[in-house]
Amino acid sequence: MENKTYRKLRIGIAAFVAAAMSIAVTLDNMLLGVASVVIGMISMVVVRSKVKRIVDEREVMVRQKAAQMTYAIFAPTIGLGSVMLVLLADESSYILKAMGTVLSYLTLYLIALFSISLVYFNRKYGGGNGKE
Amino acid sequence: MAKNKLKVLRAIHEMTQKELADKLRVSRQTVIAIENNKYNPSLDLAFKMAHLFETTIEEIFEYEADLDEQA
Repeated sequence: MENKTYRKLRIGIAAFVAAAMSIAVTLDNMLLGVASVVIGMISMVVVRSKVKRIVDEREVMVRQKAAQMTYAIFAPTIGLGSVMLVLLADESSYILKAMGTVLSYLTLYLIALFSISLVYFNRKYGGGNGKE
Repeated sequence: MAKNKLKVLRAIHEMTQKELADKLRVSRQTVIAIENNKYNPSLDLAFKMAHLFETTIEEIFEYEADLDEQA
């Protein structure tokens, strides 16, 4: 299977899942929602196994840059959002305060994960030990 | 940014972008990006190109120093 066909099939599956999910929400049918997601996931796995995809160095670089930008935007956004929620929520809005706390922990988890992977890849590619 | 003669070499060897991409085991988009000087390939890929066209890396790529960087 060519890359183009794979992309078309992926869009088709995503459209099917989105349509089925919206119907499930409209009808308040949880079973339909879960079934559509499971069918979508299985179809994605089957389609992916049939395609001969080339992930070359340019695509890897594009993914790295995209991941870097996502982190640079996402971490401060949820970090600041969580601080605002915790600080601005008054006594009555305990749900907002709880959300803020959860987001704070998520931010910490994200930063910790980033730092660990940074140290790991730095060591893997020869940096970090200071030896000549 | 390095300029390259990939388009010329490909024309000399009568290769399409797809054929070159298949031989280098990269996508056609990568070949297009290199030909348009939008992406500098890795040393590994540059050596593969040189080997494929039976030439040297210096014959394919020419380094152009950025005048802003030098200042």
